[in-house]
Amino acid sequence: MTSLEDKFEETKRLGLQIVRESEDERLMTLSVGPQHPGSGHFRFTIKLDGDYIVYCDPDPGYVHRGEEKMCEYRNFIQNIPHLERPVIHDSTNITYAYSLAVEELVGIEVPRRGQFIRAIASELNRQVYTLYWLAIYGIFLGHSTMFMWPTGDRELFIDLLEALTGARVTHAYNIPGGVRNDMPEGFRDRCLRQVHYFEKRLKEYEDIFYNNPLFRQRTEQVGVLTKDDAAKLGVTGSVVRASGIPYDIRKAEPYDIYNEIDFKVQYMKTGDSFARSYTPFLDMRESCHIIEQLLDKMPQSGEVRAKLQPNPKGPPGEAYRRVESGRGALGFHIISDGTPKPYRVKISVGSFRNILALPYLLVGQRLADMPAIYWSLNYWPVEADR
Amino acid sequence: MTSAGAIIKAIESGSKHLLIKRFTFRYPEEKLKFVGDGYQFDPKKGVGIAGYRGRHILFHDKCTGCQLCAIACEGIAEAIGMVKVDEQWKQNKKGIMPQIDFGKCVFCGLCVDACPFYALFMTNDYELSSFTKEHLIYTPAQLAVKPKYQGDVEIVIDDRGATHG
Repeated sequence: MTSLEDKFEETKRLGLQIVRESEDERLMTLSVGPQHPGSGHFRFTIKLDGDYIVYCDPDPGYVHRGEEKMCEYRNFIQNIPHLERPVIHDSTNITYAYSLAVEELVGIEVPRRGQFIRAIASELNRQVYTLYWLAIYGIFLGHSTMFMWPTGDRELFIDLLEALTGARVTHAYNIPGGVRNDMPEGFRDRCLRQVHYFEKRLKEYEDIFYNNPLFRQRTEQVGVLTKDDAAKLGVTGSVVRASGIPYDIRKAEPYDIYNEIDFKVQYMKTGDSFARSYTPFLDMRESCHIIEQLLDKMPQSGEVRAKLQPNPKGPPGEAYRRVESGRGALGFHIISDGTPKPYRVKISVGSFRNILALPYLLVGQRLADMPAIYWSLNYWPVEADR
Repeated sequence: MTSAGAIIKAIESGSKHLLIKRFTFRYPEEKLKFVGDGYQFDPKKGVGIAGYRGRHILFHDKCTGCQLCAIACEGIAEAIGMVKVDEQWKQNKKGIMPQIDFGKCVFCGLCVDACPFYALFMTNDYELSSFTKEHLIYTPAQLAVKPKYQGDVEIVIDDRGATHG
């Protein structure tokens, strides 16, 4: 196993060969994306020596929308619908971090029941995202059943979120001060029933996918990211947990009521593609337990949203809050100059930090292992470009 | 477990689903059941009432033409414009009411949160497709119509699996 420095050297050394590309015609340049059916709106150039990848250059930025600049022209409430566009499959989590930061800035406290409902919506949305990600990972490796099953079971959570928030994908549910509406009647029973059923389904996922030797042979010992390298590259979320670092924002910096919830940070030690694909799966199982606990501990009645003036504004200052999203730490840094519109908003997303590992993981691997490594990094191109 | 055993287990796990009723449902004939009549907002309590966020419904007898919904939509979708109506209402001296362009609307429902007079709510109607863009612009008269939405399909879970029954 080579360390990060060795890989740097290796890339440099191979870079010399790349210059001579036209002379010996040994290396072939291959452009993957942005119209590749799997890569998303993302392109990377790889150089191949035979079947082996010797160089990789990620080229994100195809779906840059200027979300941060757009925030400066809208007030704190109007920012919510457009801020969830970068990652519509995880839209509750991205507005969660934003709402926490605005609450700190404006100085309001969320009622206790509101905090619980928020956390439930966030956990349900995490499941939706992870199932979608898993479905794509399945089809990347040619496993059609693993595409169909998570896409179908995702409907369990989408229906729950639809009943709770009123929209299927872009919920616009978190708002500075709490959530927009209370739970509908009978939601608790329905939620518990579907979450219990989903926990049974996870067993079947293990049988057909994770314990399947065909899948394991394609992912085990492929694209190994060691513990030290993971820490140096600053990857986050399931990628850093797969490399043996049990780091989760819900545990490290508990927000809202997460310090009252009893859960374990799921991590693996091997750091290969299999571990990176299995850690989100373990997270899904843990998320089911968290949802059950949240529903049990939730106050039966009470306010869900703090009273807030229609156009909230806080004193000049700044706030930085982050949450654990489906792809790792997601932070919002907001600077206010005392007006109802933010002066500057900076979004720090997990996707962009995870993709930094791609050039180091791909070098020395076969081209056929590229999809297994690329999508295991839990990368969402639109979120990374913001 | 040996790898042959694991492969057999995987095949068995998948083939079991041949005997289970399908999870999907036939959309135009069957439709999903929603909670309530749509998203509503109670300005006195300052909190919404859970429901699906579909097409809006406008109550002409309550709308005062205050334009707060149009102001809320500025910077989000700019889908709401105020138009003159021929009707005479005591509370609406200016005679203007919102007109919504569903080609632009993102169905976030923040206009409903902004209305202080219980005049603008959302409904369960989501089937808004049309052949031209102009038909997506709903006038106040069109928005006043209460939609007929009949949905009765829900997720049913039994020992054999989950279906839309």
